[in-house]
Amino acid sequence: MQKIDTFSANSLKILDKSFVEFKNKYIYNLSIYKKDKRTQTGQKFHGLICFYIRGFDVSRLLMDLSSDELICWQKLKEKLKLIKRNFIKTEYSFLIKDELNNIPYYLTGRFDGIYKDNDFYVIYDWKTSNFPKNPANDLQSIVYLYALSKIYKTDKIKMRYLSIEKLQTFDVNFVSSEKYKEIIDEIILKLPWFNFSLNSGLESQELSF
Amino acid sequence: MLINANSNTNRTKLLQNKYLELLNSGIEAEKILVIVQNSKKKKEFIDEIKENSNKGFIGSLKIYSFWGFIREYILENWVLVEEGLKDKNAKITPYLSGLEISQYIFKKSIDEVDFTGYNSKTSLLHQLFRRNSLINLNNLSKEEIDKRDKILQQTYSSEANQTINKYKAKTIDLRAFDYVRQINIFEYLYKKLENKFEYIFVDDADEITPCVLAYLEHIKPSVKEFFIGYDQFGSSRLGYLGAINVDFEKFLNCKALKPFEDDEKTKNALKIFHSVKEDKKIDVENINTKTFLKRNEMLDCVIEDIKTLVNNGVKPSDIAIITPINDEFLKTTLEKTGFCFNFISKSEKLNQNKIIGYLLELLKIIIDTNNKFVSPYILKGILIEILNIEKKEALSFVQEYKTGYEFQGLNLFDLIKNKDNEQFRKFINIYEKCRFEKLSSILFEIVSGFIPFQKEFSKDIIKINQLLKQICDFEDVFKDEFDRLELIVQLENTIISENPLSDLEIDENSIIVSSAQKIIDYSYKTKYQFLLDVSSENWIRQDIGPLYNSWVMQKKWEKDTFELEDNINLTKDKISRMLYKLYLLTDKLTLYSSAYDYLGAENFSGIDKYFEYKNEFLQDTKAEIKPIVPRDDQKEVLKYKGGLMSVSATAGSGKTTIMLLLVDKILSGEILNDIEPNNIFVLTFMESAARNFKERIKAKYPNLKELPNISTIHGLALRILKENNNFSKVGLDYDFEILDEVKRVNILTEIVHKFLGSVDKLDLYDAAISSYKNELVLYGDFECSNKLFLKIYNAYDEKLKSENLIDYDDLLLLSLKLLRENKDILDYYADLAKIIIEDEAQDSSAVQQNLITLLGSKHKNIIRCGDINQAITSTFTNSDVEGFKDFMKKSKNVVMDRCQRCATGVLDCANDTVDYAKKEEINAFSDLIMKPVEGKNIIDSKAVGSFIFETEKEENNFVLKEIQSLLKNSDKPISIAILTRSNFAINKWVKILEEANIRTYKNSDNLINNLCYRISLLILEFIINPYELRTLKEIAKELYDIGFYDFDTLRYANSLCEPIFLRDDFDEQFWWDMNYFLFKNYYSIYDLVCEIGEFYFSKTGEKDNIHMVATIAQKVKNSQKTFEDAVLRLREIQFKNNFSNIKFFKSENKDKRKNTVSVMTIHKSKGDEFDYVFIPELTKDNLCLSIDDCKLKEKSTFIQKIKKYPKDDFELKKEITEENFRLIYVGITRAIKKLYLTVSNNYKFFARDKKFENSEFFEGVLCKK
Repeated sequence: MQKIDTFSANSLKILDKSFVEFKNKYIYNLSIYKKDKRTQTGQKFHGLICFYIRGFDVSRLLMDLSSDELICWQKLKEKLKLIKRNFIKTEYSFLIKDELNNIPYYLTGRFDGIYKDNDFYVIYDWKTSNFPKNPANDLQSIVYLYALSKIYKTDKIKMRYLSIEKLQTFDVNFVSSEKYKEIIDEIILKLPWFNFSLNSGLESQELSF
Repeated sequence: MLINANSNTNRTKLLQNKYLELLNSGIEAEKILVIVQNSKKKKEFIDEIKENSNKGFIGSLKIYSFWGFIREYILENWVLVEEGLKDKNAKITPYLSGLEISQYIFKKSIDEVDFTGYNSKTSLLHQLFRRNSLINLNNLSKEEIDKRDKILQQTYSSEANQTINKYKAKTIDLRAFDYVRQINIFEYLYKKLENKFEYIFVDDADEITPCVLAYLEHIKPSVKEFFIGYDQFGSSRLGYLGAINVDFEKFLNCKALKPFEDDEKTKNALKIFHSVKEDKKIDVENINTKTFLKRNEMLDCVIEDIKTLVNNGVKPSDIAIITPINDEFLKTTLEKTGFCFNFISKSEKLNQNKIIGYLLELLKIIIDTNNKFVSPYILKGILIEILNIEKKEALSFVQEYKTGYEFQGLNLFDLIKNKDNEQFRKFINIYEKCRFEKLSSILFEIVSGFIPFQKEFSKDIIKINQLLKQICDFEDVFKDEFDRLELIVQLENTIISENPLSDLEIDENSIIVSSAQKIIDYSYKTKYQFLLDVSSENWIRQDIGPLYNSWVMQKKWEKDTFELEDNINLTKDKISRMLYKLYLLTDKLTLYSSAYDYLGAENFSGIDKYFEYKNEFLQDTKAEIKPIVPRDDQKEVLKYKGGLMSVSATAGSGKTTIMLLLVDKILSGEILNDIEPNNIFVLTFMESAARNFKERIKAKYPNLKELPNISTIHGLALRILKENNNFSKVGLDYDFEILDEVKRVNILTEIVHKFLGSVDKLDLYDAAISSYKNELVLYGDFECSNKLFLKIYNAYDEKLKSENLIDYDDLLLLSLKLLRENKDILDYYADLAKIIIEDEAQDSSAVQQNLITLLGSKHKNIIRCGDINQAITSTFTNSDVEGFKDFMKKSKNVVMDRCQRCATGVLDCANDTVDYAKKEEINAFSDLIMKPVEGKNIIDSKAVGSFIFETEKEENNFVLKEIQSLLKNSDKPISIAILTRSNFAINKWVKILEEANIRTYKNSDNLINNLCYRISLLILEFIINPYELRTLKEIAKELYDIGFYDFDTLRYANSLCEPIFLRDDFDEQFWWDMNYFLFKNYYSIYDLVCEIGEFYFSKTGEKDNIHMVATIAQKVKNSQKTFEDAVLRLREIQFKNNFSNIKFFKSENKDKRKNTVSVMTIHKSKGDEFDYVFIPELTKDNLCLSIDDCKLKEKSTFIQKIKKYPKDDFELKKEITEENFRLIYVGITRAIKKLYLTVSNNYKFFARDKKFENSEFFEGVLCKK
């Protein structure tokens, strides 16, 4: 079995839910490709926001929006106009190395944007759907804040979810790297190759699959 | 930094360390761009960085394969492209789509351009893809394209460019770009944007393409430092994969570091590199060569070798099987061994997966409201494999549907609705809910509802996801503006082969099977490399076609011409690099070759010629075979010292044996100096003779790596056309096919019917077309007076061109044209052909003789053997005995007039025939009189018996009783033949004999005569109609006859009175076997036939034919709508001789023919011999020996009308009479012990008795006795 050692917020979420589901999706690739409308809208807005913040003229791109999306964009643009200068990164990917039981593991992901507000670094995440029910405890917030703390080596960070449809934001403040690592480690420990005490049970888990 | 080192060194590791040094020095990862060759190497690079980095933030890595980089770059900066466009189709993100979308767009673009008259319409799409890809990979400007078009003189280049431009415009409108098209967008963008990378790493830089180089050139001024790893002897992707040889020292203006000493392996690899370049044999240890006649034998040896290694503790993953022919044949043969194989095919088509095949069929059923009838075979597969319906229930349902549809026009869905079954209900719910939805939604629902999400299905699910993604891409790009059915049909018949998943995870229990390029690209190291099919041209196939040329379209091409020598040298260069790189990846290399490929065609032009022959498994000595002591008349032949020689050899004079001795002498260097096997060309008239000759040479020299070129003239012509891509010079595409009898009849039927309203005269036109083509070659264009014929001829010619087909006449004509019009090609072959030996020269056509003269034009060593007295094909083929006569005049003539075959009485009869012709002043024979060999021939003056009967029945009874008596009274096995005048009579005699329980052997190439074809067809018929008990009984009988089943099985089959699948006869082997085939749902008929063949014939000689039969079945299936239609068609064509140029291996040897009666035409018997020969039905109609009484058939006179110099009726009658004399002469001389010549005065003619005159032969020759 492939011993996965690199995790995204999403893969951790699935592992947190169930090891079997994690194995099916990430080791055996047992999931079906599906493209829904909301994902497509999300991709459009991500692209548009990114180009806009980087200072490109996006007027032609608006032809690609439906009338509802256009109304939504106009409002969003007003909001972005005020803050766009403070973005220091957009669509920024990261790779963090850590370890658990002396075994290295890696966290990856991509920040939609990093905004600098005086001494504070704010991770922006645009949401068209799947707005987290409990942002403070959401694994995305935990992984992203943990990652950002490693990048800028500071505690002055926060994560900001922005609902594109509702134009509402929700901030998650940084708690502590140790706390985040503890949560992440706890999930990763569900994997037998990180948790030696689980090894004896591996066979039975295979069978139950 | 420039590192010149090969893949066997730590070059990549060195680059990775440099990368880490930069990171550790505080340089941000996003300022360092790393370009590696593919995503596997990308993963390896990243893994190494991950492992050796410090804890914490490693960075925002910019490590890509080149294609991955382009993709990211476009997505990141797309807005700039939109800024430059003016239309209303703007998109926030473009569709970076797959090749299926491009295929669809290209098809639409082709429809808008007039390609009238273009030769290879079937492959036009492929041609344009290739052209477009080469232009982009090589970063060619318009001027550069124009220059190359001039060099190549490609007639349709303007149309091609027009189509590509239209395609490009459409991709812009749709904002849909495949990876090739992305190059253009990328180029546009990087020229507009500032470079943000300060450090650039490129590994495997010897494999980069000009488009990558152009980018690196562009950013060079703004880059702080380059780190480039390359191998100066690398660049194995030269040519169609677009690699370019770059002088990196010049590029970076610095000296390359060579940090690693050459180890032993590198030194050997370099030896290989230089040997190939200099045309020398490779002399390197650890290379072993094994050579075989048939591909099957080769694979058997490969399997044995694998077993030996694994038994000796070698891990399967330490073995790599490398071949350019990664086909179904290989796959099924290897898979049955029980080892695990991981096939990394060069290319894969989605629909090769069974589940995908059934899903596409199911989608078609759901959305195609016009498609009323569903193939029951496919329906059964869908029910069992997708909808999980229980097998017997599925079969009953299918039967119910079949009858319901036939008799009541019942609709499939209505029938399903009425079923009280959960699975059916689930399906109907999906159908009702989403049949009008998007294709992707329907597919999603079916897959979610029915495909089990289990580990065993993971490979299928990957494929399903690829399919879903492709369909979603279509829906995104084209919205509703595409036809759902059209898309499914495209997906089923796609020409696109996407690369398989790039992560090459091979577990240690799997043996990798791959192309050489993939092994190199992935740097896949194994202890053992088995290189298969090394005698096949596929190892060195260059990519050249009517609309592209991968050499000339290279960025670096500077010459104003493209000649054969360029092609040969560049190909050699590429092979040297490929073999060099392969060798670096292994400890031991074994090469396997076979003289024939799996369809029985000869292999040629492989890479085997570069290797010394060092064989471990056979002794390197000549095999001991019985020495032959030549007779005095034969010795003359062996005195040959060069020049032109003709050998007149009578029947039974041991001609083949002496030819073999002659080749033996030539091979041993006794006749000509400096001669290699490939300098010897032996041309036979029949394919079987060529094979027989090859087998005998092989038996004598088991270790001979390379056999002399032994083939029919058509085989040689095919080689000339195919080798070095010569076909492109006559406007053919590489996948041109030779028109077989079945397809020719189909095409002609359609055309003749169109012009004449009936097909009564089909045969006339068939023969006339062939004749006319020969006339055109001999005399050039001339005015043919028969205008209607010309119309039909032109329509036929046009049809062939449009389908990229050539017929057998074209094969000779085009190769002759190639040699005549291209001096470089002629020089190549004339130089190679140091000696040419032609057998059956009396049957050689004028075109064939021209070809031989051209081939022999340099060395002028030509030996032509024949017997004018046995020229029996001139009246119905284009053979030209006069040409041989002329050759005899100008060459040294050796006569072999001793016949040791026939009993003295038979010899006398043959000589009397010659005398009679002379007496009648008919110029049928030469003056050669056959003489016996002392002590060899049976002395029997009464060896010939002639018998005249009153009725046909009496004649039949006489022949039958005589045969029964011969078989009964002989204490040793004997051979008996009935030789007929026509094909028609064969069936009559077979029937008579078989009714009397006498086993027969039909020497005919009919498909149905092949055992594997016969059995497979019967089982296919059983599968489509499992309720038909007669078929089951026939299957049991056939398999009982060959000893597969015992008498109890036969009795069981005969006792069946209800369908086998309704019974539970668990202790009956036959029941198990038939149920197995019935419920083993193969989407591909090829796989099904292979399974049948392997089951029944894997331990017999028939094994060699299994894949040929499977290929025929697949080809037939491709031209038919349904599986059932294909099975019916296979039955319809059972009496055809040839299909798709596939040549069955004859598994029966002569010994097996003992105590059976061979039934064949006299024509077919040439070259054969039998203890007892019967020639019945010798009426005047069948054998007229008088010019005055000769009746001309319409065919003969018709053909004359299309000739430049037509013969008059008298001349024609004379020719036919002469040939009749020779025909009976051939028949007579087949007999060793006794000859029976019979006739009756009356025969059944349309069920009535009719009087027939006896042939003059009875009075003129036999009454003398």
